[in-house]
Amino acid sequence: MSLTLTLLGALVALLLLLLAWTLHSSKKLDAKGTFPNALESVGRAHVEFLPQIRQALAEEDEQFLSRAGAHLLCRRLQRERKQIALSYLKALREDFDSLLRMAKVIATLSPELGVGQELERLRLSIAFLWKYQLVQVALYAGYATMPRMAALSNSISGLSLRLEEAVKAMGERAALAAEMISPSDRSRVHFS
Amino acid sequence: MERLPLLVRWTWGVSVAAQLVLFAVLLVRGNFRRVPIFISYVVANFMQAVFVYMIYNRMRFGTLNSVVLAWSSQACIEILRAAAITEVLRLLLKPYQGIWGLGWRLLAGAFGLVLAVALIAAGHDFSWALALADRGIHLAFGIAVVACLLLVHHYSIPIHSGYKALLGGFCFYSCSIVLANALGGLLFVQGNAHFQTIWQSATMIAFVAVVLVWATALRLPLPQRIQPVEPQQADTTYWELSPQINGRLRELNDQLGRFWKPEVTRH
Repeated sequence: MSLTLTLLGALVALLLLLLAWTLHSSKKLDAKGTFPNALESVGRAHVEFLPQIRQALAEEDEQFLSRAGAHLLCRRLQRERKQIALSYLKALREDFDSLLRMAKVIATLSPELGVGQELERLRLSIAFLWKYQLVQVALYAGYATMPRMAALSNSISGLSLRLEEAVKAMGERAALAAEMISPSDRSRVHFS
Repeated sequence: MERLPLLVRWTWGVSVAAQLVLFAVLLVRGNFRRVPIFISYVVANFMQAVFVYMIYNRMRFGTLNSVVLAWSSQACIEILRAAAITEVLRLLLKPYQGIWGLGWRLLAGAFGLVLAVALIAAGHDFSWALALADRGIHLAFGIAVVACLLLVHHYSIPIHSGYKALLGGFCFYSCSIVLANALGGLLFVQGNAHFQTIWQSATMIAFVAVVLVWATALRLPLPQRIQPVEPQQADTTYWELSPQINGRLRELNDQLGRFWKPEVTRH
């Protein structure tokens, strides 16, 4: 019986924590989760700067420095390249989040949702976060070699143009929906 | 005649007074028009409190007749509670038809699953089964409300503070009942003479707290009902873009998985 009580206590504690989290995270969402912010961020993928990043990470420079015997400079270069790779990884995360926000806006305004599509997106988000953490740890540990990033660029920037057009139409609908809340009500509405 | 302990009677009185305050707030602020099922739930709760108090005062406390009558009235309250929760969630998600479609399925699924498990586990002993079934129902309420709130949070849907208080109150009360029932059961098994007093006081104190929170939150008028946006292109846009977004996310995921593998970059 005491085991049942412990398990129920843990379950109830979890439920109350989730309840508090969902009801009190409105401030964070106010800053980044609103429709206008989601709409503004679409179409500005960080991977668009990939050519410059690739140029900065070219292996030839490192090889040249090694051959020239500038080992200190070479190590500094490696360190700075790692920072660039980390920054780029962070930027990819922002692109991923931007796509997710956009998908949520589309889902919110849609009169019908595909459960399969939504679950697939949830699964992808969890998988991405897991891989992201792994890559980050690998980069910090100095394990990772410089990756080829061109394909990453295509995966995001190709879609952003298409989304930009769709978002213009959806944005008008979002504005219409916002207008349907009276000004007095809107002042009291919080994002959960 | 076995009477209710003084502490329970006092808490009972405070509970009835708090419900009257909530009822008055709902009437004065006009919120009863927006949440008619919720006000029915409040009225039914008040009537049940009076009804059960009369039963326990006229009949011997704990007799089969008093237990059957009290738990029968409780069944009506549980049905109204489920309806009131659904009403609030519907008001919240009505403008978002797609998410409401997903939400009510989630609510029904989570509630049905947990309730089924709880009822199977309840067993056949009448009084014991009632307590376990009650605990199961409240666990199902709690899980269903949190599941829907997670969905609302996931899609960044705005929630008015009044609705936050209503849903939070329902969930908190259900969680309190689950714990109180489990604790009461444990004390009963251990032969504690005061298990009834502790159980009843715990459940009623939690209820009074929730009713007072509701009364405070509902001093402000709830927002007008928002009509759903008429679907024009959104239905086709979702089905057109959603698979593409998922495809891109999948590609991004696959490539991230190969991030540290050395690859040839020479042309």
